[in-house]
Amino acid sequence: MAALSASADRYSRRPDVVRERRTWLSIPASYLVILLVLAITLAPMLYLIAGGFSSTAQLNTDPNSLPHPWVWGNYAAVITSSAFWQAVYNSALIAVVATGLAVTLGSMAAFALSRYTFRGREALFALFIAGLLFPLNTAALPLFLLLQHIGLNDSLLGVALPEAAFSLPFTILILRPFMRAIPGELEDAAIVDGATRIRFLLRILLPLSRPALITVGILAFVQSWNGYLLPLVVLTSQNHYTLPLAVTNFESTYTQDTARVFAFTGLSMVPALAIFIFAQRKLVGGIVGAIKG
Amino acid sequence: MRGSRKPAITVMAMAAAVTIAACSSSSGGSPAANSTTSASSPASTAKVTLTWWNNGNTQPLLGVWQSIANAFHSAHPNVTISIDPIQSDLFTTKMPIALKSNNPPDIFQQWGGGQEATQFTSGKLADLTSLASSWISELGPAAAGWQVSGQQDGIPYDQHVVGFWYRKDLFAKAGIPATPTTITQLESDDAKLKAAGITPIALGGASQWPDAFYWEYFAVRECSESVLQSSIKAVNMSAPCFSQATKDLTSFMATSPFEGGFNAVQAQTGAGSSAGMLANGKAAMELQGDWETSVVPALTTSKNLLSELGWFPFPTVAGDLGNPTAVLSGGDGFSCTTGAAEPACAEFLQYIDSTPVQEELVQKANVGLPANNAAEAVLSNPALQAAAHAHDTAAYDAEYFDIAFPTDPGLALDSALANFFAGKGSNSTIIDSVSSSSGH
Amino acid sequence: MARTHSAARRPNQRHRLRKRVELTVLLGPPLVLFIGFVLVPMVFAAWYSLYNWSGFGPLTDFIGLQNYGGVLTGPDFHEALEHNLIIASLSVLIQLPISIGMALLLNRRMRGQTTLRLAVFAPYVLSEATTAVMWLLLLEPGGPVDALLKSVGLGGLVHYWLASTSLVLCTLFIVITWKYIGFGIVLLLAGLQGIPAELREAAAIDGATPWQVTRRVTLPLLGPTVRIWIFLSVVGSLQLFDIVWIMTGGGPADASATMLTYLYFNGVQRTEFGYGATVSVVLFAISFVFALIYQRFALRRDTAGALTRAVG
Repeated sequence: MAALSASADRYSRRPDVVRERRTWLSIPASYLVILLVLAITLAPMLYLIAGGFSSTAQLNTDPNSLPHPWVWGNYAAVITSSAFWQAVYNSALIAVVATGLAVTLGSMAAFALSRYTFRGREALFALFIAGLLFPLNTAALPLFLLLQHIGLNDSLLGVALPEAAFSLPFTILILRPFMRAIPGELEDAAIVDGATRIRFLLRILLPLSRPALITVGILAFVQSWNGYLLPLVVLTSQNHYTLPLAVTNFESTYTQDTARVFAFTGLSMVPALAIFIFAQRKLVGGIVGAIKG
Repeated sequence: MRGSRKPAITVMAMAAAVTIAACSSSSGGSPAANSTTSASSPASTAKVTLTWWNNGNTQPLLGVWQSIANAFHSAHPNVTISIDPIQSDLFTTKMPIALKSNNPPDIFQQWGGGQEATQFTSGKLADLTSLASSWISELGPAAAGWQVSGQQDGIPYDQHVVGFWYRKDLFAKAGIPATPTTITQLESDDAKLKAAGITPIALGGASQWPDAFYWEYFAVRECSESVLQSSIKAVNMSAPCFSQATKDLTSFMATSPFEGGFNAVQAQTGAGSSAGMLANGKAAMELQGDWETSVVPALTTSKNLLSELGWFPFPTVAGDLGNPTAVLSGGDGFSCTTGAAEPACAEFLQYIDSTPVQEELVQKANVGLPANNAAEAVLSNPALQAAAHAHDTAAYDAEYFDIAFPTDPGLALDSALANFFAGKGSNSTIIDSVSSSSGH
Repeated sequence: MARTHSAARRPNQRHRLRKRVELTVLLGPPLVLFIGFVLVPMVFAAWYSLYNWSGFGPLTDFIGLQNYGGVLTGPDFHEALEHNLIIASLSVLIQLPISIGMALLLNRRMRGQTTLRLAVFAPYVLSEATTAVMWLLLLEPGGPVDALLKSVGLGGLVHYWLASTSLVLCTLFIVITWKYIGFGIVLLLAGLQGIPAELREAAAIDGATPWQVTRRVTLPLLGPTVRIWIFLSVVGSLQLFDIVWIMTGGGPADASATMLTYLYFNGVQRTEFGYGATVSVVLFAISFVFALIYQRFALRRDTAGALTRAVG
């Protein structure tokens, strides 16, 4: 088994020795394109962040200028508010549980659906995909009743479990072809070495699927982080609110404190972006190509 | 390997389904047991915790409700009130779910009229007729709008009236000496404003209900009180006065009194709203409710906005058969859910409608017009006082149609009217919108 | 790629049992979670569609398929469906090439690669509600977008972006593209990382130009990921809701209505819960038909195993 792991490691960590110097778009031109796209992507975000330094009154009166005066109060109020940190904690807890469950269970199911043959396999896959196709709005009521029945209403777990369940379809959809693409010879070799299929999954397949796992992990995390309808339906107490729900506290019956909303949302993004950077470092540093013929 | 998966899946699915079926049936009919009582003794002495869902999720209302709840607790130590503030728009999603669950909140906010009647079908609204009989008359005729089939199922805590808010400085700039009393005068004032380079009226078309105000006021001016009330009750607008209202609206709109692109302008939320336009002097008038004074100060950097704002009632139409002083109105209120906490809930609602608490709501929370008229004396803003006066001296109150009707036709009407403003549909689409149940 | 047999795979009783156990362990927990929290509520929601029900009170008014007649014959629903299909087509025609191009560019080793990817991904991380509020502000008449156009001399392009019934859907498409392009790029990057560099090297050594390498080697191998992208994108377009609802409510005059804004207005706000459930089922059926057709013609190639053989 050790020898096999080592050989798999060799495949997975082979450095990219040949730099692509000749590409279809020259380096300066590609930087130009990227910068253009960046400008379009980032300009509204910068406007949002700057808006947090303004006041709602000023955003109404004069939305086209930079904030004058520069107001620190919005960001300060958000950072010092215990409701914000409570919501960060709630969102984080839910997202970590939901993502962990979705990736773990999703890998297991994708492994079974990609590397085993059995009757009803495609039908089972279709069943999972069907979960993607039904909009959540009307399913929210029966889901709430179920959660209440098992005592999970107004609880963080009551949000995390359904979120994990709803993340399973696209997790499996993405992981399955990746897992399928791992050559059968690796698996044969593992079994000859005396390893079980499950061992093969854990020691070889999962490490080789790292790009896909990290990707579905990030996507599931962000989906949970920004999830709105499920927390709205399940949670009632203010101290269980996640970040998207907590934002509604800046909107009253008749009006909305837009500047405060911008500050709050800008800060809410930070944890999710941090996770993304962390995950991308793992991706960029590690794997180039794993498979040979 | 060979079909070994299917039986397991089927069993799991059936188990889950049976569980859900058991839950749904058990949560359907049983009366809600939604408070902690230590004994079955009368509520005035038993220990009770009331959960309260209201829309005061921001200051100042957030703090005011909390202090009112605390004051009540001091006076009644056995009653504890736990507040869950929820943003207004979220009630649409949360209330059906809450009323279907086995533990709905003891007190929740609703807006009366047909909407309340729809919620009444859940069977969970407490009948407060006897519990409130001793004090409900303090609220005057307003309380009648909160009854369902003769039962008092909701109690209002404030009232609203819709009229024209205007900028005195902009009127002066355009050379308009006095506020218009007829539509013809309003149209000529609009022309003067346009000549001075000012948008006459701001309209939040994206929110839909501001559009509806115009048509509904024309209907109130054209229809006699009895025809209006009976049509609303029958959910039927075939009476000719309603079509006449559409004609009035069409000729009014032909004078282009609104800002360009009004279809995408929100009424109040976010920047660039119609309220914001009024606040920043980009428009001279807006037809809105009394809540305008609590909305506009936050939307402008100018400090003396409120002193520049005036109010006048919706003008009369030449040759109208309706009542020239009738006003379009509404309100906010609360209902109690059935259960052992009803008496405590009713006592709390009585407390909210008592004069000192009403005055607190007016002065500290800017709720608009109090439900209890005795508290009107503390209104300080002259424009609000004018609105209150119009409301008090009105021949009758017409509840805004989307609340007066059951929710379904009410919103269908709003949508048909907004489409009409955007150039889609005709008089018959408006009239017919309330008749078919889906109206598509 | 012939199927090889090794000693370990001789079919016998012990191995059949082991396989059954492994499959139960692997599939059991995901299925329980999925059936319990997704499928069962879906089935119940579908059940509501047979009733005329406001969402309050008990289910008493059974009307069979009457709701379906209302949904399927209503012109408003057709209009909404049309809008969804327009958005779906536009995503494949416009968003996909941009995403692929950006993914190829961001796949290279270059300085600040992680930062660049972060910047492209950031809009996806922004919550939908705030995205809508922010763009409402940016697009208001005389607002920042109009001001920017005027400042670069393109003032003639200024329109009522959201108030015009002819422009509103396109405006919303641009906002949606801005928000979701990061998702697609990250997905395609994962796909690119699965392509062995040796293949590109080999082609380059064989004398292929960079463009030929991309076109003949990289893009085809990216095929499976692209096909997943298309699937998720079309399904996402069919279920478009949050941004549209907050920015326009489906208006003006239903010019930007989608099936889900139609559902929310008629099913939830108008308290016709049974009718709303019907729209959900119809939407599901439309998506399902698409998924079936797509599976047959597009994904089938991928499940056959692009690079390697299937394992027993």
